[in-house]
Amino acid sequence: MKKLTWKDDLRPVPFLLAFFVAYVLFTIYPIFKGMQMSFFNWTLIEQQEFIGMTHYINVLSDPNFWEAFGNTSLFVLLSTPTMVILALGLALMANLNTRLQTFFRGSFFIPSILSVSVISFVAIFMLQPYTGVVNNLLQAVGLDAEPFWLATPSLAWVSIIAVTLWWTVGFNMILFLTALQGIPEELYEAAEVDGATRQQMFWQITLPQLLPIGRLILLLQVLASFKVFAQILLITDGGPGTTTRPIILYIYEMGFQRYDLGYAAAMSYLLFMVLLVLSVIQLRLGGKEGRML
Amino acid sequence: MKHSKYWIVAACAVALLSGCTRSADTMADGRIKLDYWVFLSGGDLSYMEAIVDEYNSSQDEVYVDIILQDWDDYYTKIVTSVAADRGPDIGISHAASLPQLMNQGLLQPVEEMMTGAGLDFNRFPENIRDAVEVEDELYAVPIDTHPFILYINTDLAEEAGLLNEQGLPEIESTPTGLSDYFAAAKEALPDKTPLAISTGGVDTYRWWWTVYFQMGGTPIFSDDLREPEITLDRDIAIQAAEYIHNFFGDVIPMHIGDFYETFQAGNAVGMMTGVWATGIWEAADLNFTAMPIPQSFDVEAAQGDAHTLIVPIKEEQSSERKQAIAEFISFVSDEGAEWAKAGHIPARTDVVESSEFQDQPFRADYAEVASKVVFTNKTIYQNPAETDMIRALDEIMSNRLTPEAGIDQMLKALAVTTRQ
Repeated sequence: MKKLTWKDDLRPVPFLLAFFVAYVLFTIYPIFKGMQMSFFNWTLIEQQEFIGMTHYINVLSDPNFWEAFGNTSLFVLLSTPTMVILALGLALMANLNTRLQTFFRGSFFIPSILSVSVISFVAIFMLQPYTGVVNNLLQAVGLDAEPFWLATPSLAWVSIIAVTLWWTVGFNMILFLTALQGIPEELYEAAEVDGATRQQMFWQITLPQLLPIGRLILLLQVLASFKVFAQILLITDGGPGTTTRPIILYIYEMGFQRYDLGYAAAMSYLLFMVLLVLSVIQLRLGGKEGRML
Repeated sequence: MKHSKYWIVAACAVALLSGCTRSADTMADGRIKLDYWVFLSGGDLSYMEAIVDEYNSSQDEVYVDIILQDWDDYYTKIVTSVAADRGPDIGISHAASLPQLMNQGLLQPVEEMMTGAGLDFNRFPENIRDAVEVEDELYAVPIDTHPFILYINTDLAEEAGLLNEQGLPEIESTPTGLSDYFAAAKEALPDKTPLAISTGGVDTYRWWWTVYFQMGGTPIFSDDLREPEITLDRDIAIQAAEYIHNFFGDVIPMHIGDFYETFQAGNAVGMMTGVWATGIWEAADLNFTAMPIPQSFDVEAAQGDAHTLIVPIKEEQSSERKQAIAEFISFVSDEGAEWAKAGHIPARTDVVESSEFQDQPFRADYAEVASKVVFTNKTIYQNPAETDMIRALDEIMSNRLTPEAGIDQMLKALAVTTRQ
């Protein structure tokens, strides 16, 4: 390898600088600003007195915080496994060498490019009682009931998770699909020579080869699910009551409807700590070398 | 040549940054330009636009730019924009939101500047004047009262035989009057919705508020701006919730998706909401009548709020601009009868008594409600408390909690909200 001179070292700097400035300004700086805010009484308008850990202590005894935290955890528990397994299933389908391959790939991925407001309003429209297409279809196949999808806590969760799956599973599917296509053909050829069945090939070759990307997807999915916000805000606004209010929605309400930025910042930092711990655990469990990929 | 690219980048950056600067204070022709923010998303925007147009063509010194903001985060936007000194010159606010805005230090007191423009606050009825007063200062000019009322589709009511000789619905002022009326409608017209209202949400809360105060309920909070006590009467709150709950699943179908649409399409005999719907039904060519919520219990009371005009704080504001703002507000106040076409009841007594208002259909029939409106308490927690109350009532009306458990949850939520 050629030895680099300082001039070569500096060459990428101008290219990186533009992004670096934006990154510091819009990501790094707000992280520290937010931490500062969490130690102050801070309204939407002005910084007030320093109050140390008071916000953190209040958050920990706030029943609304724990309820919202529980709601978010429920969402993570329910959505993460379905999201990963469904993505794998769809990726396997989209990888089949059939005439429908392009159709599968396109139709699984298209919802991901829609904006959250579009999918939310489509969902609300479809899930209406009396007039919505979902209830009308169910009644057409003989269901003698009028389920209130968005007004019953359990059904509201089912709706939110189904909408989220439909909307975002395409992205995970693409990751799986890429990994599937990266599995060397020789492995399958060798297995065929050895007389392995298709099932054996799937369990012994395909799945182990997908494990690294699977771990990455799991980590990203847990982080993404903990940050669930926009579709719930738009579809149920945390309702019925507060049964589907996730932690970010509560942070948003405290910050931008109650104008209590200090309190909202303190909750954000508690969430940040939880995500940090979860990520570290997952990274430690990932592979012998403690690496993700 | 090499440098030309940098110039393009620099020019783009300047263009982007200049997008952040505030809009001009004056028009190209030298007129003073005033920004006026509104959230009117119901049928009432076009009526306000007409008033502003009229003001702009009535003189040639001031141009008022009416800017529609999204209702959902209107107050958040007002607060952040005023904090950044980019707020509007004039804005609309509900009377109920004034304490919170005032507490954030966003509002200028208006009494002195308005008196200078010839507006006498004695022309307002006492309850409406009080609604804009926070800690002994007047912070807004009320332009209307908009109580929660009852609409009846007169075509359907006639078909069901529920109109008297004058063609008006007759609902008894007894505890069962309202439910009897709609039970009769249900029997006569089984295919129609007797009464349309959403199962949860703000309109159910408005109805509960009406019933609670008609039953003699005490105010929700003590009048303490920052540290209010909860003074809600638990027993009456439960009774009021129980009363409303009995309608749901009986004469009100559960969880109607869009109850405005149900009524507008002629599929409901009755519906309840704020008076702003009057203008909508008129535009929709619906045969209907509007009336106060019948007084079913001992006390005369109604739910309502008032649209008011506020003057947000500005770092530098010339006396000339202040005067222009006051004159515009005074003009809007004088045009109360025009604004009433949207369905609202003018705030000023002299406008209510004018023939321009009295000659409009329906409004005079429900105008008397304005004096019975029980406004919210002056605490900074009013808006979050409203959310708490809506959520608790939602639980009751959807049969997830009994009225007792639901009101207890309401009290608990209010305690958490006011503690922080």
